[in-house]
Amino acid sequence: MSSSLRTIILKELKELLRDPKILIGMVLMPVLILPVMGGGISLSQKAVEKELAQASMGVWDRDGSSASSTLIGFLLSANQTVIPISAADEAEAIEGLLETNATVLLEIPEGYGANVSRGERGVLHVYAVLKSIGIAEVSRGGIIEGVVNAYRYKLSLEKIWELLQQAGVTGVDPTAVYSPLSVEYSSVIKGNIIDIPPQSIFGVMMSQGIMLPMMTMMLLSFAMQIAATSIAVEKEEKTLETLMTLPVGRLTILAGKLAGSTLVAVAGAVAYIIGFGFYMTTAFGFVPSEMMNVDLSSLGLAMGPEGLLLLGVTMFVTLVSGLALALSVAVFTDSVRGAQSLVGVMIMPVIIPSLILMFTDLKMLPLPVQVVLYALPYTHSALASKAVFMGDYLTVLRSILYITAFTLVILYVAAKIFSSERVITARIRPRRLSLFRRRR
Amino acid sequence: MVPAIEAERLVKRFGEILALDDLNFAVEEGEIYGLIGPNGAGKTTALRIVGTVIKPTSGTVRVFGVDVVEDPSKVREMISYLPEEAGAYRNLSGLEYLRFMGSFYRREGRDVEEMVEEGARISGLEERLKDKVKGYSKGMNRRILVARVLTVKPRLAIMDEPTAGLDVVHALHIRRTIREYVEKHRASVLLSSHNMLEVEFLCDRVALINKGRIIGEGSPEELKARYGAENLEEVFVEAMRVV
Repeated sequence: MSSSLRTIILKELKELLRDPKILIGMVLMPVLILPVMGGGISLSQKAVEKELAQASMGVWDRDGSSASSTLIGFLLSANQTVIPISAADEAEAIEGLLETNATVLLEIPEGYGANVSRGERGVLHVYAVLKSIGIAEVSRGGIIEGVVNAYRYKLSLEKIWELLQQAGVTGVDPTAVYSPLSVEYSSVIKGNIIDIPPQSIFGVMMSQGIMLPMMTMMLLSFAMQIAATSIAVEKEEKTLETLMTLPVGRLTILAGKLAGSTLVAVAGAVAYIIGFGFYMTTAFGFVPSEMMNVDLSSLGLAMGPEGLLLLGVTMFVTLVSGLALALSVAVFTDSVRGAQSLVGVMIMPVIIPSLILMFTDLKMLPLPVQVVLYALPYTHSALASKAVFMGDYLTVLRSILYITAFTLVILYVAAKIFSSERVITARIRPRRLSLFRRRR
Repeated sequence: MVPAIEAERLVKRFGEILALDDLNFAVEEGEIYGLIGPNGAGKTTALRIVGTVIKPTSGTVRVFGVDVVEDPSKVREMISYLPEEAGAYRNLSGLEYLRFMGSFYRREGRDVEEMVEEGARISGLEERLKDKVKGYSKGMNRRILVARVLTVKPRLAIMDEPTAGLDVVHALHIRRTIREYVEKHRASVLLSSHNMLEVEFLCDRVALINKGRIIGEGSPEELKARYGAENLEEVFVEAMRVV
């Protein structure tokens, strides 16, 4: 590396990392804010769990039958704290409920037992007291629903068994009558049959395969904003004109800015990944992850060294093209805010293909949309990342070629702009873009 | 002897605007040459062309015999340019800024440090050089920029309003520094200024420029005699009136 290039890269790093907007906004915030957010979610979730564990329910048994006693016995066996409520009417029952710490009332209406014994539907009524709007309130209703469903299942099986006995049918499993169909799923990958539901494999691929292109796009978005800032700040602070008269090649300046922006963007992305990791472990640590039990390498979906290399090349050419694009565009503005707004718009075609490809295959889309998406180089970055996982290296190479061709064009344009006086004189004049131009 | 600058039939258009219209001038080695004229006369455009920032629409400029369009890289090794609206990197300290600039002109670390010391002396900012530039006043900012121009020891310094924003004491310090530098290193300076006192103090020769053309040229004494004026301000006003 030439000493001039090293000097420019070092200057870029110092300037960018000492800028509070970049240091705090893009590097420190993800590391600090995301774990704090995760901690907040975890704390509130634990509070909800504690609240639910201590939750009790009022039971207003208006039936007083043996069937209602059996139901109450089931609730007690399911570790529910049951508070009996005696009342003449609904209003009195609710009043009685509010005097306790219970927030759910289960009413067993008159005739419940009679209906059940006649083989008709037994009707229950649940009252949930909403004190505020939150997950805890919704969860309380969910808990009683779960217990009642379990009782419903138990009652159904008992009924079926009773009816089978009455009919003199033997050798029939009541659970098979209750649910006569059971479906087992398998996935076929690269011609191999694997006894794992496709949803589980998709889950793993989502977490490990599709997140990767998303992270690439995020890194690219960071880098583009940083690159745009690095050139716009030179214009805003009036340092660019001097820089262009120094005895250093314009292409060295361009390369220095590209390298400096990439390094800072990588630092930002690493900070984001660390922050996001903390966020996931703290916020969703209580969620059992079945997906993690699926080993991609055993399914033939893990990347080999050649796959990793191709993925690295894809990410690199994508990054360089995005940076060159951001620098070329930012030259036409004269303020950091202007450059960031302009690049903010340009990030859309970078992010959208990745989002679309997360949910669907390009071939499923209408032809005009396919044409537009295939024309966008960043679609190929996402396509390549997916193809690497499937071992479809031909698609990856084709994508790399397309992105590289685009990158070379953009680098050529950026080099042309940097080698000309347009780097100093170019401006996008809002008046020229106005639909309502004044007549002179 | 090869002149420091030879500008011949220089024309520069920005769309419909004709900024320079057949401009001709030459600056000798060891000479301080001033361009004076009203706003929009073409002074900054001329300085930017000599400084390789922009290219002329037609005409030629040679710096010590090297064409600014054909070989701008070689020209940049000989010049140091101070734009009128210039800044230093806000998040670098004054010392870091001088070191950054110096490292493009010298390869050895010891030579760069000598440049930084020289820059520190010229700027007179002393301990404040350790502070980040974003804490500098406008005057301090200009002082470090002027120091940057001279500390790299250019054969030709191009300075657009070198003392803009400086108070009297610091402006005088900078003018003396420029003079000393030229005498010591036999360097050449092309400058523009609205401060006629400064031009009279610094410049060996002056060109009056209006609408992209030179309307008068000579030493301050010659110009005063030609226009029957007592100072350059009167020369300026009289020259504009005649045009």
